[in-house]
Order: sequence, then C-alpha cells, then structure tokens
Amino acid sequence: MAATTESVKADAAEAPLLNRRNLTLGILLYLVFYSFIRWYEGVYGWSAGLDSFAPEFETYWMNMLYIEIVCEVVLFAGINGYLWKTRDRKVMSITPREELRRHFTHWIWLVCYGWAIYWGASYFTEQDGTWHQTIVRDTDFTPSHIIEFYLSYPIYIITGTASFMYAKTRLPTYHEGLHLMYMVVVVGPFMILPNVGLNEWGHTFWFMEELFVAPLHYGFVFFGWAALGILGVVNTEVMAITKLLKKDLA
Amino acid sequence: MSASQSAVRSRAEAVQVSRTFDWMILFTLFVTVLGGYHIHYMLTGGDWDFWTDWKDRRLWVTVAPIVSITFPAAVQACLWWRYKLPVGATVSVVALMLGEWINRYMNFWGWTYFPVNFVFPSNLIPGAIVLDVVLMLGNSMTLTAVVGGLAYGLLFYPGNWPVIAPLHVPVEYNGMMMTLADLQGYHYVRTGTPEYIRMVEKGTLRTFGKDVAPVSAFFSGFVSIIIYFLWHFFGRWFAKTDFIADDAS
Repeated sequence: MAATTESVKADAAEAPLLNRRNLTLGILLYLVFYSFIRWYEGVYGWSAGLDSFAPEFETYWMNMLYIEIVCEVVLFAGINGYLWKTRDRKVMSITPREELRRHFTHWIWLVCYGWAIYWGASYFTEQDGTWHQTIVRDTDFTPSHIIEFYLSYPIYIITGTASFMYAKTRLPTYHEGLHLMYMVVVVGPFMILPNVGLNEWGHTFWFMEELFVAPLHYGFVFFGWAALGILGVVNTEVMAITKLLKKDLA
Repeated sequence: MSASQSAVRSRAEAVQVSRTFDWMILFTLFVTVLGGYHIHYMLTGGDWDFWTDWKDRRLWVTVAPIVSITFPAAVQACLWWRYKLPVGATVSVVALMLGEWINRYMNFWGWTYFPVNFVFPSNLIPGAIVLDVVLMLGNSMTLTAVVGGLAYGLLFYPGNWPVIAPLHVPVEYNGMMMTLADLQGYHYVRTGTPEYIRMVEKGTLRTFGKDVAPVSAFFSGFVSIIIYFLWHFFGRWFAKTDFIADDAS
C-alpha cells in the first residue's frame, strides 16, 4: 500500500509527456507577434515607407531594421548557445519515458518551425509581390523587405536551428550522426537568406520593378524545395516513436 | 525491457500518445509543405496566378499545371509509398490554396487594395483529386504519371472555367476590343502589367483558329507527365532517413 501511494505521488509530480502550455504559447507567440507586424506595415508602409530618402522612413523603417538585426543575432546565439551548453552528455542512457517526453518537446519545436516557415515563405513572401508591383522601390531596404527578408526569414532560421540543436543534443535518435534531411530542411530555407544578396543585386542592376516569375528569383525556388526535407524528418520520427510505443500499441 | 522502463504506462496512454503525435505531425507537414510549395509556385507561376489579366488561354493554361504538379508528386511519393495515404496531392494543393487565399485577401486586398475578383488564385483541386484517385486505384507511379499527369494538365482549364469565364467576355473600351479581365488590368496598373512586360497572349495559329486553350492544355499535360516522374523521385529522395557521419560525436 505504501509503495502504491509512493507510485501515485511520483506520477502526480512527474512532468506531463506533452507540455500543452508550451505548445499553445509557441503557436500564439508567432501569431500575436506577426499580427502586430502586419498591423505595423499596414499603417507605416503607406504613411512612412514610400520614399527611402524621407526622414520618417529612417524613423519607422531603418530603425526597425537595425533593432531586428540586433535582436535576431542575440536570439540566435542565446537560444542555440543555451541548448548546446545544457546538452545531455549521457543522452544514450535516458529512460524510454524520458525519451518519449523529449520527442514531444522536439515536436513542439518542429510545430513552431513549420508555423514560422508558413509566415516567412508563404505569408510575407507573396505579399512582397503585391507591394513591389504597386510601389516601385527606390532602395533595397523596402518596408516589405525589412519584414520579409530581415525579420520573418531569420525567425524561421532561428527556430529551425534551435529545433535541430534540440534533437541533436537531447534525443538518442539523432545522437550518432547528422540526419541528412534534417540538415536539408534547416539549411535549405536558411540559404534563402543569402540568396537575398542575388535578388538585391539583380534588382539594383537590372530592373527596379517587380515580376515574380523572373529568373532572378529562381534561387529562392531552389532553396524552397528543401522544405520537403520535412518528409525525411517525419519518417525518422515515426520510426523512433513507433519503436517506443510498439509493444504497447500491439 | 521491464514494465517500469516502458515509455507508456498503459495501452490507452500509448494510443493517446500516438494520436497526439499524429496531429502534431500533420500540422507541421501541412504548414511546411504550404511554405515550400507556395514560394515555389509564386516564383515560377505566380504572376499568372495573381492577376486575372494574366489568366489567358495560352500561357496560364500551359505554365500553371507544369509548375504546380511538382510538390503533389513529391508528397505522394512519401505518403503513399510509406503510409498508404492516398491524399498527398490533395493535401499539398489545399495547403497551397489556403496560403494563397489568406494572402490575396489579407495582403493583395488588405494592404495594396486590389479587388479580390482581380487577384483570386487558380483552382488546382480537381487535378489533385484525380492524381490521388489514380494512384489509389492503380497503385502505380507510372500510371499516375501518365494518366494522372495528363489529366492534371487537361483538367486545369475546365476546373477554372466557371470562375474565369465571366471575365473573358469581350468589352469595347475607348475604341479598343478587350476582355473584362484586360479592363481590370487597365484600371489597376502594376509593374507586372502584361502589356508593359510584353507577355501578352499572341500566336500565329490564332490567325486561323480559336482553339488555343485545348492545345495548350494537352501540351501542359504532356510536360506534366515528365515533371511528375522527376518530382516523384525528388520526393523519394527527400523522404530518406539517412544519417551521415558526425565527427563531433
């Protein structure tokens, strides 16, 4: 009886397998933040973002660019540094239940990564098409680019590398080597950011106008394909989770 | 493994854990494919998809199916061959169209004030359903590529016809004959206005006949067959679970 009571107490004290609060907060964090960003660009894109030589452009847009770049570098270094510094050095000896719990935490990261990819690659990229076909650019740092290239892309890069870092440092599945498709799905979309250099170079020397299907943009397409690497990550995860649950599901 | 070392405490918990993972995986797969597919499609066929005055009977009908059969083929290669889920193409296309509709409403209309009936996305769902059905019934990649790929190209124009037809009726404006879609573009000038970038519909055969769309659809279907094959193998490659040596570990 005493042993049973101890067991029940242990269960009650134990952390849940899936931390639903973190999952909800993760999704809401991106949603609320990007809703604010969407409001900001809606208001200050038109009122302060049309002429890059105007003082208000410096106030509302260039300052935003400087602030976001500093924050992103700090966040990237902080999150990845923390995950590396607190890595589990005995990852191969964790219990199956702890491994399952970590897979859930890993999936919270992956859910956030997918969500961040949506905002960056879909929402803020296609809106760039309509902005630049409406407002002819006079700078590389347009309101749309300051949000698309220098905010939403770094955010999914930070989320993706953190997800990879978590898996690599805390899950036995990824301990023995580098998962090829995991690297593809993180590094490929990351390479979209350096490809911005080609885009700006082309728009500066060839044409200021926007034409989304122009060959100048094909570099983005190539690296966008890398998102399909999520298929390999899902397959690996399904195998790992099945291995943990198989006996109990049979 | 002793009972105390089991990952779960009961079969019921195992089932619950499995279902929870299913939802998290589906959400992640959906939004990640949405992002990758959308950036691919908007930058290879996007302008034909953005504006009604680009939705002509020749290039739109040719380009859109060819560039959009890519991700459905790749996702099918994983979901069907690994999990026997006959929904890869439809899920991909629904994801893409959700992303497009959100964007056209929130940004094309909400930020730059183009009316939605000028910027609505093309409908790709009929072709995607046929791709999935052919794969499910035939269980053959070759059959899906040849029959499904051709059907994907052929169905594109009929699938969009109910939406685009009212905008292809002729109107006379300032002594010029044009379609209603052209007139929309005339009033909403963009840097991608077709006349400005010299990508208006043209062709010598139109001197003799008017059957541009069926010819374009067949050509698109043929190329879609090849693209399906190619992207099926891309999908298989992306679905790999290989590790490479890690010198650090």
